[in-house]
Amino acid sequence: MELDTLWMVSILGAPLLAAVLLSLLRGRVVRAAGWIAGVAAALSLAGVLALLPSLQRGDVPTLSFEWIPAASIRLALHVDWLTLPFLLTEAAVTLVAVVYAWGYHHTDQRTPFFYALLMLFAVGMSGTTLADDMFLFYIFWELMLVASCALIAVWGEGERAGAVALKYFIFTHLGSLMVLVGLIVFYDATGSASFSLLREGVTLAPAIVGIVITLFIVGFSVKMAIFPLHLWLPDAHAVAPMPVTIMLAAAMLSMGTYGILRFPLSLFSRVQMAPFGVPMMVMGIVSEIYGALMALAEQDIKRVIAYSSVSQMGYILFGLGTLSYDGVAGATLHVVFHAIVKALLFMSVGLVIRATGRRRIAELGGLRGAMPVAALCTGVGALAIAGTPPFCIFNSEWMIFSGGFHTGQFGLAALTLFGSLLTVAYALWFVGRIFFGSRPAGLTVNRSPWTMVAPTVLLAALSLIGGLLPGPIFEWVSNGLSLILGGAW
Amino acid sequence: MTGNVWVALPLACLAGGAVGLYLFSRLITARNEFLALLTALVFAAGLWTVVPLLGMTRLALKTGEELPVWGHLGPGGAFLRADPGALVLASVALGLGMLVALYSGRYVALDHRRETYYPLLLLLVAGLVGVVLAADLFSLYMYCELMSAAVYVLVAFRRRTDTAVEAGFKYLVMGSLGTIIILMGISFVFRETGQLVLPQVTGSPESLDLGRSMNTVTGPWTRVGLACLLVGLSVKSGIVPVHTWLPDAHGRAPGTVSAMLSGVVVQSAFYAMLKVTLGLGFPARMLGTWLIVLSLLSMTLGNGLALVQTNGKRLLAYSTIAHTGYVMLGVGIGLRHGSSAAIQAGFFLILAHAAMKGLAFLCKGACHFYCGATEIVDLRGMAARLPMVTGAFAVALLGLAGVPPLAGFTAKWFILTRALRPRDLLVSIGVGAFLLNGLVSLGYYLPLVRTLSSQKADLKGDASPAATLIPTSRWMTFPLLVLAGMVVTMGVYPGPWLTWVADAGAYLLSVGR
Repeated sequence: MELDTLWMVSILGAPLLAAVLLSLLRGRVVRAAGWIAGVAAALSLAGVLALLPSLQRGDVPTLSFEWIPAASIRLALHVDWLTLPFLLTEAAVTLVAVVYAWGYHHTDQRTPFFYALLMLFAVGMSGTTLADDMFLFYIFWELMLVASCALIAVWGEGERAGAVALKYFIFTHLGSLMVLVGLIVFYDATGSASFSLLREGVTLAPAIVGIVITLFIVGFSVKMAIFPLHLWLPDAHAVAPMPVTIMLAAAMLSMGTYGILRFPLSLFSRVQMAPFGVPMMVMGIVSEIYGALMALAEQDIKRVIAYSSVSQMGYILFGLGTLSYDGVAGATLHVVFHAIVKALLFMSVGLVIRATGRRRIAELGGLRGAMPVAALCTGVGALAIAGTPPFCIFNSEWMIFSGGFHTGQFGLAALTLFGSLLTVAYALWFVGRIFFGSRPAGLTVNRSPWTMVAPTVLLAALSLIGGLLPGPIFEWVSNGLSLILGGAW
Repeated sequence: MTGNVWVALPLACLAGGAVGLYLFSRLITARNEFLALLTALVFAAGLWTVVPLLGMTRLALKTGEELPVWGHLGPGGAFLRADPGALVLASVALGLGMLVALYSGRYVALDHRRETYYPLLLLLVAGLVGVVLAADLFSLYMYCELMSAAVYVLVAFRRRTDTAVEAGFKYLVMGSLGTIIILMGISFVFRETGQLVLPQVTGSPESLDLGRSMNTVTGPWTRVGLACLLVGLSVKSGIVPVHTWLPDAHGRAPGTVSAMLSGVVVQSAFYAMLKVTLGLGFPARMLGTWLIVLSLLSMTLGNGLALVQTNGKRLLAYSTIAHTGYVMLGVGIGLRHGSSAAIQAGFFLILAHAAMKGLAFLCKGACHFYCGATEIVDLRGMAARLPMVTGAFAVALLGLAGVPPLAGFTAKWFILTRALRPRDLLVSIGVGAFLLNGLVSLGYYLPLVRTLSSQKADLKGDASPAATLIPTSRWMTFPLLVLAGMVVTMGVYPGPWLTWVADAGAYLLSVGR
């Protein structure tokens, strides 16, 4: 077996093995569970990074076995430039979330299962990006949903965890079904489930092209939580335990973007996609503004950040909708940068919640002195999400806005640009209310464990580094663009 | 009595086993574990006799020879024929029966009259194997009665519970009505044609030289007879609108019996219906159309009513109606458009459903056995008390809900991919309804999973004992693990199973030519 193949197997295999080990050993590994998961997540990330050199040589590491010959379905994995940003994001977020969970999660008898499900969630996400076969893609796509739903149902915070998990499942499953129909239409047209064959060109009947594109975009928009398909998100993010929220918000939302890039944008020509550009931009703007307004109105600090995801996904959809080089590159870049910043913000919020035991914004305030590190990190996160230079999101938003102006839709582009003012408003207001002002009576602050603080600081540093040196990531992302819309820009 | 003895061996095994087992329990010992083990052995022996038969059938189909038959051959005879679809169902029945027998090693340990339970289980499967293998209407009727009689008694087996006898009686009335209609249909057919043998299909489907006896004859009486047979066998297979006995019978029978009923009995009656109607010359295209229309009713009504159930087993029973609808959709599209791949997908769903529904009913039975849980609310907090059973239950339910990578998802994927091939309005409506139903069904499977995993052990508010782990008997855990393993394996590696049922589709199409 080649070294590349081995690394690729380890991306999926390490977390999978960890999940199996944890659920087999159960009570015997209660203390070590977090470490096992951490090692697996680190191996997975190492696998992604180890594939970089061969990608830069121009190879496409693949792995393919016969699986269900009767239906021409293969067990095929591959890594190309389109996969890489998402895979990297997912693996890194998993590692950070696991480390954060060491401090956040209360260890008890069920802890091994918690980490096992976390690992399965990671397998689902990395499998979704690695899959080179529709059947496999859908299996991983749903594994991601099942694992995260189980995490919310069992470890969710609050009375309504079960109901929220149910809503989350049914909502996102509806989106998955739309995607499934789209996939099956392609399967039907080619008689094969392989992406590689699809990319070589399929001709669908013109009558169904529009339907299929709509199904894909709407289906993936559910996962991206675009207004009005976002209804599952605030509840799910608010109820889920913080490590799961981090993975949901920073990594899983981006899977919707991956889906749009991988299916409609890769498989159809620019001419076929053109009628969908403006609707996508409009959906993006609506989502952006709605999410920001809701974030302004929200009282629960976790839900503020959750609505901020709705808003940020709006930027991404807008970027994709421009169908221009800058817009699509910016949207992909935004996925990576948003993951960093969103994880950072949720981690900071987690620090506040863990230290004070409070979640309502009205009951917080003046924490600047008691939690200087958290205050600094939240400040960095808020500035970053507001698109302030020199933090990373500035770069991707620049690209997205530039893409918007390229399309000639000046009105829409200007609207996004000014809509981002709302982001500034809620971000700064959020920091101000928690860390500045007077401290409410009876607000006590406990010490935070280093395993929670260290990843937060790391991400704050990353969001600065990403802003100052976006070169490498930008290069990887732009390599991926050659696979989209026929590659001619 | 001539022909290939292998065809008769499964039946002989089961019938002989039933008599022998009864004598054994009367004369030697009625210890439950012994009886369960012996019954499982008889089922295993039956399964072993089917294996060579599978090879012979495949060879016969390939070379275009006659399928293996046994009995009084000839135009006026009564005999069995091993066709590929029948063998699939017979193997499923024998396999599921074996697991159910093992499971009964603990499940019926506290019941009286065990000495009749096991022989009845064997007779039930014997009747079922006869129904699917029967090559003439007389044998079909006889075996159908054998199967039904065994089921009536088994449904009412726990006669001291308040509703079991009522459910058994309701089933008896409805079932007898079905049987009478079948008998009437047979007599009409006989009146016109003077014989009851279903046609033999020889040769590959491409170069078909049918030695068919009657399906060239489509006089008025045969038509009426066909209609009667269609309705009668629909009753037995629980197709909406003649499904009303099913939720009662499946909901009240002991868990093991429900598993057999939902897992294979209903499906084999469905297969018998296909075989008989196509064999008597009912046009395949029209039958397919009917099946698609009825499947819309079955799946919508099944899922809709499952949503409002408060009793766990009735919920599963309605889910069986819905799944019969899915199977009918696959088979119906296949018959309407001559696509053997769609029928193959329908048969794959039969396999998957047998494993999933069998597993679900057995898990529900275990919850009832250990914790007395009948209603859905009683299932709260099961995860803490019976973790292994709950895990298997969750696998079964998620499989039924069509969550990847379990068997239910793979089966639905195949039905969808194969159903989309022919494009016409009815098929599109069917596929749309299929997808919507898949979504609706989440509305009852997922809350059930959630109930199982919820923390609160008891809703009633009384001082409920702290959730303590209840050790589960190995007699129960083994079949549950095997079935859960099968649900997963069929999902992630469906290849061999798909190949196994491939012949069934082609055969049905050739019969219905």
